[in-house]
Amino acid sequence: MTDQQQLVGDAPLRRYEYDDAVVLAADIGITGDATVDVVDDTATVVVGDEQYDFDLPSGDARAFIRNGVLTVEMSEVSH
Amino acid sequence: MKLTVKPLKQKDAGRGLAAVDRAAMDEMDLENGDYIVIDGDGGRAVARVWPGYPEDSGKNVVRIDGQLRQEAGVGIDDQIEVEKADVQVAKRVTVALPQNLRVRGNVGPMIRNNLSGQAVTQGQTVPVSFGLGPLSSMSGQKIPLRIAETDPSGTVVVTDQTDIEVSEKPAEQIAGDAPTEGGGEATPDVAYEDIGGLDSELEQVREMIELPMRHPELFQQLGIEPPKGVLLHGPPGTGKTLMAKAVANEIDAHFTTISGPEIMSKYYGESEEQLREVFEEAEENAPAIVFIDEIDSIAPKRGETQGDVERRVVAQLLSLMDGLDERGDVIVIGATNRVDAIDPALRRGGRFDREIEIGVPDKEGRKEILQVHTRGMPLSEDIDLESYAENTHGFVGADLAQLTKEGAMNALRRIRPDIDLESDEIDAEVLESLEVSKQDFKEALKGIEPSALREVFVEVPDTSWDSVGGLEDTKERLRETIQWPLEYPEVFEQMDLNAAKGVLLYGPPGTGKTLLAKAVANEAQSNFISIKGPELLNKFVGESEKGVREVFSKARENAPTVVFFDEIDSIAAERGSGGGDSQVGERVVSQLLTELDGLEAMEDVVVIATTNRPDLIDSALIRPGRLDRHVHVPVPDEDARRAIFQVHTRGKPLADGVDLDQLARRTEGYVGADIEAVAREASMAATREFINSVDPDDIDDSVSNVRITMDHFEQALDEVGPSVDEDVREQYDEIEERFDHAEAELDDGETVSRTFQ
Repeated sequence: MTDQQQLVGDAPLRRYEYDDAVVLAADIGITGDATVDVVDDTATVVVGDEQYDFDLPSGDARAFIRNGVLTVEMSEVSH
Repeated sequence: MKLTVKPLKQKDAGRGLAAVDRAAMDEMDLENGDYIVIDGDGGRAVARVWPGYPEDSGKNVVRIDGQLRQEAGVGIDDQIEVEKADVQVAKRVTVALPQNLRVRGNVGPMIRNNLSGQAVTQGQTVPVSFGLGPLSSMSGQKIPLRIAETDPSGTVVVTDQTDIEVSEKPAEQIAGDAPTEGGGEATPDVAYEDIGGLDSELEQVREMIELPMRHPELFQQLGIEPPKGVLLHGPPGTGKTLMAKAVANEIDAHFTTISGPEIMSKYYGESEEQLREVFEEAEENAPAIVFIDEIDSIAPKRGETQGDVERRVVAQLLSLMDGLDERGDVIVIGATNRVDAIDPALRRGGRFDREIEIGVPDKEGRKEILQVHTRGMPLSEDIDLESYAENTHGFVGADLAQLTKEGAMNALRRIRPDIDLESDEIDAEVLESLEVSKQDFKEALKGIEPSALREVFVEVPDTSWDSVGGLEDTKERLRETIQWPLEYPEVFEQMDLNAAKGVLLYGPPGTGKTLLAKAVANEAQSNFISIKGPELLNKFVGESEKGVREVFSKARENAPTVVFFDEIDSIAAERGSGGGDSQVGERVVSQLLTELDGLEAMEDVVVIATTNRPDLIDSALIRPGRLDRHVHVPVPDEDARRAIFQVHTRGKPLADGVDLDQLARRTEGYVGADIEAVAREASMAATREFINSVDPDDIDDSVSNVRITMDHFEQALDEVGPSVDEDVREQYDEIEERFDHAEAELDDGETVSRTFQ
């Protein structure tokens, strides 16, 4: 597990590396209109009027926000 | 599904998160962010699912922080029932603030931001971090809010749609009527998450204390007596007291503290009686922990104390800890930073069964500690805690706490003008605008020095390799000796290579030995202890050696450290050469020898010594294994002299005609210090000429036109002569030969004396 100093709003983005997947997670707090989108190698999080982009290590990703927890899960691990 | 409780990592604590391992998540069909109910014996807590740590995969582990553990009434390593929860969204939550909090304006949005996503129940106390916490000057202070009412009732989740209302009544007046369900008795003061960088120590303490208290049957089964005490020792400020508190908190044991001076009484026998009373009280409230802080004050070595009282107190403590009567579930934790001052009878099995050293934290530990202390602090985005962890060698927990506190105070200072001290309340907007910036931290770092090193600490000089002109070979060798082992430990390990223990810099006066040492101190990213030889000497017998010993023990505690002995010949002269009756010198040398190459390993401690009389140093000191690297700092050759001229004229306004090449050619026999003097004299001459020729009123206008010309250098060269003459040359030739012989492998067949390249 490595730490990233990257932030989504005030919440630091954590990165967890499992055997079969890499998960990025951030607790961004519950806001009504937070969305996340993955386009190619970039995840775009929109919280209110602000937008945060971060690069993903590999393309095949699944992203969702549930109850304020942002999750980006990548099943393929490319080291 | 049954899962095992483990502590959460420091950085994720305090947000109502539960890290569930992936296998269990799949089994329960959970996704990150789902709500789960954690059902413990003592209560029930709701948390959001957070991705489990990779190291937990398949172990059926749920990691929750101290607050949730308290709510659910569970401890670490307990089995608990976890299931998916359906939680309603709160429409409205009424919170009550503590009475002593005086904030004006609408704090609702701030509270909502803090609570967003968390599940709350009526009557529950939620600690909320209000920026810098106006309750006290301590940064990261959490304010206990009480949830007065929720709509709908039951456990609800705060979202950004939730209305937050502040109750008229202060929190103290609202009865916590829900401790049976959801709400814990009180939020813990110190949880395991509040301790950074002491994981293995904490594990040991828990093993000794938690296990026997929770499951005494384990010990019965094994037929052994459960442990009775743990002695924590280590430098001040490393977290001994904190750890004792956290343990007491987490296992819900009765906690009594004994502080030495408190139990001492002037009446005969009363001190012992007070001690007995404390133990009796603990026994009545078992399971209990008796914590004796600074145990050296009440249990010093009996043979060495003056008073009768101390001796009796120690005896009483011994019999209480290991007496005839069975003490049951009472465990004694002692803490001290002078473990050697404690009566040896206490330090054996059956009394203090285990001694745990709480050391100065390493880089990872410092990062965790910083994370703990900045958890409730609004940090600006550019703060990289990792880099602070990297350059705070020798800082203990207390120093790091101080650092974050000072940083926050700096931030506070910025908004001070906006605060109206006369008014009773602080504007909520001002509170919200508080943010700790990188600059605040930087300022704070300047003012704080590691407490363990305060006595010997020196400001690391602001000298880099650039400030050293010439001496390329010498620099390279110093770098490989000192910087490489710290920078590339893996290479050294692979090559099965031990780092050099010491470097001896020798060469004629003025060639830059001390300057090199300064540059090393700056570039090596280590703590730096500078010893001026004679200051170690003391008029009392034995004290001089003690000085040497203390220096090295400090250096070891605060590794990586560079210990610098300037003019080492003054304290390490050849033994057996007379030197008075007391033979202090000889004993100091012996002490140095054993410290450098003794039984105790010197991990990451490098000694740099300088001398211009290497022939006078005791030969045992300069053999391999001690000061094993002899780096020669030669009189500069022409190229080096030009480089030195460049360094010393870098900031000076030179006229176009100044030819440094020519100057370098004409200064044969000049050492670095001489060249510096030449440059200084030349600029002095220019200054003199300027001030004498210009009207004092016009100085400000014309000062930018002054230039140092070649003529000024000529004058300077007349004044400053070379400090190396024929005598010195011969003398160093001789020394050179001796050292060349000793260092044959370094001599590549050079026939020219290396002092005069």
